[in-house]
Amino acid sequence: MNLFHKLSNWLRLKRQEANVLCVGLDNSGKSTIINQLKPSSAQTQDIVPTIGFCVEKFSTSSLTFTVFDMSGQGRYRSLWEHYYRDAHAIIFVIDSGDKVRIVVAKEELDMLLHHSDVKHRRIPILFFANKSDLQDSLSSVKVSQMMGLDNIKNKPWHICASNALTGEGLQEGVDWLQDQIRSLKS
Amino acid sequence: MSGSENKDINEVNSKWLDAHYDPVANLYTFSSCVALADLNGDGESKLVVGDLGSGASNMKLKVFKGTSLMTENTLLDLPTGLVAFHMDQNEPRTPAIAVASGPFIYVYKNLRPYFKFTLPPLEVNELEQEVWSQAREDKIDPMSLKEMLEGIRNKAQVPLSVRSLKFLMLEHQDMESFVNMHKQQPIRRQTVITCIGTLKKNMADEDAVSCLVIGTENMEIYVLDPEAFTILSKISLPSTPAFMDVTGQFDVEFRITVACRNGNIYILRRDSKKPKYCIELSSHAVGLVRVNKNIVVGCTQETLHGCTQKGKKLWTTYLPASIVTMGLMDHKSRGFQAVLVGLANSEVHMYRDKNLVNIIKTQDVITSICFGKYGREDGSLIMTTKGGGLIIKILKRTAVFDEKDTTPGPPVAQSVKLNVPKKTKLYVDQTMRERENAVAMHRAFQMDLYRLRLTAARAYVKALESNLTPMSSSASEPLKMNAVVQGLGPSFKLTLNIQNTSVCRPSMNLAISFWYDEKLYSLKTSFFKIPLLVPGLNYPIDTFVECLSDKGISDVIKVFVLQIGRSNPLLTAHINMPVSEGMALC
Ligand SMILES: Nc1nc2c(ncn2[C@@H]2O[C@H](COP(=O)(O)OP(=O)(O)O)[C@@H](O)[C@H]2O)c(=O)[nH]1
Ligand SMILES: [Mg+2]
Repeated sequence: MNLFHKLSNWLRLKRQEANVLCVGLDNSGKSTIINQLKPSSAQTQDIVPTIGFCVEKFSTSSLTFTVFDMSGQGRYRSLWEHYYRDAHAIIFVIDSGDKVRIVVAKEELDMLLHHSDVKHRRIPILFFANKSDLQDSLSSVKVSQMMGLDNIKNKPWHICASNALTGEGLQEGVDWLQDQIRSLKS
Repeated sequence: MSGSENKDINEVNSKWLDAHYDPVANLYTFSSCVALADLNGDGESKLVVGDLGSGASNMKLKVFKGTSLMTENTLLDLPTGLVAFHMDQNEPRTPAIAVASGPFIYVYKNLRPYFKFTLPPLEVNELEQEVWSQAREDKIDPMSLKEMLEGIRNKAQVPLSVRSLKFLMLEHQDMESFVNMHKQQPIRRQTVITCIGTLKKNMADEDAVSCLVIGTENMEIYVLDPEAFTILSKISLPSTPAFMDVTGQFDVEFRITVACRNGNIYILRRDSKKPKYCIELSSHAVGLVRVNKNIVVGCTQETLHGCTQKGKKLWTTYLPASIVTMGLMDHKSRGFQAVLVGLANSEVHMYRDKNLVNIIKTQDVITSICFGKYGREDGSLIMTTKGGGLIIKILKRTAVFDEKDTTPGPPVAQSVKLNVPKKTKLYVDQTMRERENAVAMHRAFQMDLYRLRLTAARAYVKALESNLTPMSSSASEPLKMNAVVQGLGPSFKLTLNIQNTSVCRPSMNLAISFWYDEKLYSLKTSFFKIPLLVPGLNYPIDTFVECLSDKGISDVIKVFVLQIGRSNPLLTAHINMPVSEGMALC
């Protein structure tokens, strides 16, 4: 699967580099999602918990497309903000099966939205309500309500339920993100 | 999920996120029956609860994952304590659960019953045994059995078994069937477990193999082998233990701190069979928590005491309500430790030493507190309420606890030690001298003091005798006078205010005379009579003084109030003249 193909194609025309920051609590499925987005040849089988962060670059002939996969562990979350300034888009991954920690995800999102490098920018944010395959997972509507997404007024945002193990729902999200970056840059 | 509903009762900038509140979780338990453990070895910590239920039955071992109940097992009797511990080295390293209940410890592995440990039986009263064997052979009827047992109960050293005690409570008609039902079985006497803890065997690792440590109703502490459940060590106490904290390693060095029902805390160590230290509390303990090396005890008198592990009391804090439960907040990844105290006023207070650093207001009275890793979150606070509710809060990543932000009472600076300088040689010499010559010094001081008093008394008498004061004390002519000097000089106006202070007697035949240095001052008249003084009125008498010197010097002018026919003046006033500031005109 090559879900970022379209995005890369478009970026190649523009000859620009797009930095996408992928954040979310630990174990929400960020690395798994990014692995799915990579060209199939580059995909890895085992995903281990990310320490600090990983930078994934998908290069095509003249374009570098960079995803920063941040560690979600509490002690590394303070690293996120150093990458806000250079990010053109943010992917925020939520584990919709972890009801207890939705408040923690909301707290981290609120801090992100109030950060000076994010606050006044029209930076698109894509939310994945991941692990939608789990038995008693929350629906994307419920996740959006609990995260207070309706309060985000000055940024384009979009939420889709996803299953990173199968790739379900990822395409929809990436399509949206691609449109957003295009409209912002043109 | 009702996280946002209860925002209003929490402080605006709370340090906690409201992750979950279920008022009808049906959990009735205490801090001693709650543990957090990664039971499945999947990196997700579960909540294990020994639920006392709300009726006589309904006792359950419950496991929660996230917001929902994962499994439950029925318990046969009320749980008195629950711990998670590693009993072997097997992989995966998943902990077992031990539930203390009556005289038994039920051990669960992978949430399945694995082993049941029974406390060793106690010695049975020989007489009691004898009577029951007679009953078995139908030699005595239930009535005389009752009488004999009552006799034994009142005198014997060894108390009666539960069976005999139950029998003694029965009504007459139930006795026969009770005897027939039980007489064939041997008599057993057993004690029950009052508290349970864990003690690492010989390694300090988080997941090292641990022994169970139990306290019993008959005032003993047992340490059990982790795998064989044999008794490794037995220590006697002067009273029944109620709360226990265990630290150290069994094979190396350990410390067991127990709060007992006699209101004392005993500290036991590896090398002694008897308590090493004893702390006497002024009221009964209701909770015991160890923070690093110090012990924090909550007492019934709404107090919290801090003590060292050697039994020395460090501090006492007074609480606004009585304590319901206590728990340790040990945030390992941040190196933060505090004591959480659940109070009867539906608040949980967080103390670092004696400083109150945070207050959590809750929807109901908290009966159990457990802080640790729940799910994947390190800073989770799990609490259950009196009404059976479950509250989960998560410490904010950005939360910092300011030592002084909510502390009532003495400021932190008060406990800062002053840098008192060393004693000098002079100081030491003086102290020595004072010590050696104390008597002589005291005598010298007393003599000087008497001399001073004598001199003062003499001067006072002299002043009275010569009427040197501006108040006349003579009973016949009570007078008061004050003088005011006006002007810059060389001319001054001198006003004498004279008042008769008697109630109704007018003063007559009075005169005023001035005494002054004639080289310095001149007065128009230095002697004149004063008219009759009506009692109570103020008579201002003016006279003018001319200063004759321009050298900037001044002197005293004395005023005498005289009565015609008396040689002593009635009053004397000394007027300190100001320096003349103007040019002498004459
Ligand atoms: N059931 C399910 N599991 C998922 C899904 N996405 C990720 N996981 C699992 O969640 C765990 C954590 O994933 P990982 O990508 O390392 O999370 P990260 O910490 O956010 O990078 C892994 O065991 C994944 O297999 C999903 O959509 N459904
Ligand atoms: Mg990762």
